[in-house]
Amino acid sequence: MSNQTTQIENIDAMPKGVSLWDDAWIRLKKNKLAMVGLCFLIFMMIVCLMAPLLTPYGYEEQDLRLGASAPSVTHWLGTDTFGRDMLTRILYGGRVSLMVGFIATSVALLIGVTYGAIAGYAGGKVDALMMRLVDIIYALPFMIFIVLLMVVFGRNLLLLFLAIGAVEWLVMARIVRGQIQNLKQQEFVEAAISLGLSPGAIIRKHLIPNALGPIIVYTTLTIPNVMLLEAFLSFLGLGIQPPQSSWGLLISYGVESMEEYPWLLIFPGLALTLTLFALNFMGDGLRDALDPKASRD
Amino acid sequence: MKTTRRNCLIILFGLLLSACGGGSSLSRVDQGTIDGVLHFGNGTEPQTIDPHIATGVPEHHVITALFEGLATKNPYTLESEPGVAESWDISEDGKTYIFHIRPNARWSNGDAVTAEDFRWSWERILTPELASEYSYMLYPIANAENFNKGRIPDFNQVGVKVLDQLTLEVQLRAPTPYFLQLMDHYSTFPVHRATIEAFGSYTDQLSQWSREGNIVSNGPFQLAEWRINSHIRVEKSMSYWDTDSVKLNSIIFYPTDNLITEERMFRDGLIHRTEDVPLDKVPVYLEEDPDTIVIAPYLSSYYYMINTTKPPLDDLRVRRALSMSVDRDLLNETVLENIMVPAYFLTPPGTVGYEPPVTFAYDPEQARALLAEAGYPNGEGFPYFEILYNTQENHRRIAVAIQEMWRETLNIDVGIVNQEWQVYLESVGNINYDVARRGWVGDYVDPNTYLDMFITGGGNNNTGFSNARYDEIMLNEAPLKLNNEERFALYTEAETILMDNMPIIPIYIYQTKNLKNPDMKGAPSNIMDHYNWKYVYLESDQ
Repeated sequence: MSNQTTQIENIDAMPKGVSLWDDAWIRLKKNKLAMVGLCFLIFMMIVCLMAPLLTPYGYEEQDLRLGASAPSVTHWLGTDTFGRDMLTRILYGGRVSLMVGFIATSVALLIGVTYGAIAGYAGGKVDALMMRLVDIIYALPFMIFIVLLMVVFGRNLLLLFLAIGAVEWLVMARIVRGQIQNLKQQEFVEAAISLGLSPGAIIRKHLIPNALGPIIVYTTLTIPNVMLLEAFLSFLGLGIQPPQSSWGLLISYGVESMEEYPWLLIFPGLALTLTLFALNFMGDGLRDALDPKASRD
Repeated sequence: MKTTRRNCLIILFGLLLSACGGGSSLSRVDQGTIDGVLHFGNGTEPQTIDPHIATGVPEHHVITALFEGLATKNPYTLESEPGVAESWDISEDGKTYIFHIRPNARWSNGDAVTAEDFRWSWERILTPELASEYSYMLYPIANAENFNKGRIPDFNQVGVKVLDQLTLEVQLRAPTPYFLQLMDHYSTFPVHRATIEAFGSYTDQLSQWSREGNIVSNGPFQLAEWRINSHIRVEKSMSYWDTDSVKLNSIIFYPTDNLITEERMFRDGLIHRTEDVPLDKVPVYLEEDPDTIVIAPYLSSYYYMINTTKPPLDDLRVRRALSMSVDRDLLNETVLENIMVPAYFLTPPGTVGYEPPVTFAYDPEQARALLAEAGYPNGEGFPYFEILYNTQENHRRIAVAIQEMWRETLNIDVGIVNQEWQVYLESVGNINYDVARRGWVGDYVDPNTYLDMFITGGGNNNTGFSNARYDEIMLNEAPLKLNNEERFALYTEAETILMDNMPIIPIYIYQTKNLKNPDMKGAPSNIMDHYNWKYVYLESDQ
């Protein structure tokens, strides 16, 4: 006991430590592409959030007589067949798409990482049981599963996000389990165990930070998946309903009339693609930055 | 995600194949024209092909190929022509029909079609336990309604009598000018008793008797293959009495809910005819390819049904407010590409000379006043409700436009939901909706086909509407009138009652719009959009 107290008293004298996160941030800042991605994402979020201040139109406001019109001074990105301003609709649609992207992915991340880490660390019968459960859910036709969830939960935007997340965690759990199984054989884990750390602390402080690389890569892949999934479900009448929209939904409506009114497809398509690019660049950068095995240069 | 990705792969692979296969080979449609195989875009997957259960248009197209009633219709004039009956006698008072069935009429298994087949079939559809939504089509027959409602248990009291094997006598409760037309409606088609009984109870709606391999039918075609959500293939029947007049060798019906896909299939030479045209494409086709787009008057009405049993829609003032705030002219000129007729009534105008009454107009001021009167000034506190439609782009567009009209005029929050055809039919049938889109195609050329839907408890009423005076006119007064003038005066009164109670919001009278390959002949446009498959043939102009 007394030993520890002396250590803490001496801490001010030591050179200022750089935490894992500070370190990662420094490395991330050096990655130009990742920073561009990050800035673009922040920009996108801000414009989508401030949509009502940025455009004079409502997303549901129709001008039937105007109909579909090409981009012009009054409507920068044109209007759809109901005469609704596309810029406004893309901004409002971005709210739904970004939200579903982040919420559903966070749900998937939370369940998947916890579940996979516990299964991987526990091993043996617990692991076998937990992973068979994943296999069973994975084998269920995924559409039926979501439809079932929606029937049970009802049609509600937030619940839709949760339902998607509840389906997307399976692969994450497998990836994390594999990583943890591999990592727990290594000496630093043995060292932690011999120091008497609880399993929870070992998973949190030693295993997950070391598995962050694959987790982040998979997360950046999950976000676009989830956004497209939302569009797919909405198209079937299970997701969000008109006049609300999302990028995915705008795109699927745009496809209907892409020969007559190409701008209805191009602009929402651009918004989605650019965001996904930004996410991918940022994901790449984050993976490099967070990898504790990378040397500090 | 798994499934969608696999679909993408299949599509890509298909594209690759078609790219490689290009060049000299013929398109499916051109090959079909040579082989006498009609590729028919049929809109949506039929719910059933049991003639006594079906209610929709896609079902109609398939069933009329497989079955034949006592009379058929000439597709050019819509006059009744002999079908299974080679002739008929009508008594002076118009209340007794004697049908003479042709001796060579055969079922597809070789059995003779007899008068008893019709008697039994009509007993089946009228049996209360079958709960057929179309049983009311037979109500002109004496006592048919009483039997169907369980008031008399004995079918022998119903006015259908087998005089001998090939002679059927039908007693009507009142002279019914359109009775012969009903003989071409699938609710009066004969079904094969032995087959139905072999597959369980004859009152079982889900019986397997009408499935591929089981079904026995008596029409110009036989069911050869039924792949759910892919296609239904029917082939020329050799046992049909008039098989020499049947020109097509087979018809393949494709269910394609998605109009965009259907239009592309047509453009790629995969189908001869589409069920509908995406609204965006109408001006394009009219300009660039006027020979393939067919726009023709149609005895059909597009309206929104209201669930009058559910608050706040049970309040007449609310229903009138909703109806009065739909700007039908604007809707027609913009969303509907100016090819429909704005409607303030249910019955298409000019149906055998009947002109429906116009009892209201587009009036946003009054609509707001009515809503305020009902306790929702400026839409405040108005409960959220939903518009239900069966999945299709054109229905969605109309719903989106109307949703916004209601929001803008009445300041109320309305949602939109879509359901697949079968699910939609079930929701509507169980009155499990708030407001639902509905299109009604006349079953015969007479205003009665529209107005008798809304009798109390009618199978296609589905709104909870019930009015004693209305029932009295439709069931007891109008059928007894001998001349059309008196009858139509009563119909005008009935339709006025209907519109005053507003269980439906009329929106427009249809025009059919299809894409039709010029090779498809013998299928003229008529107001019923009726195909008499015997007449249809394929011939290339080159």
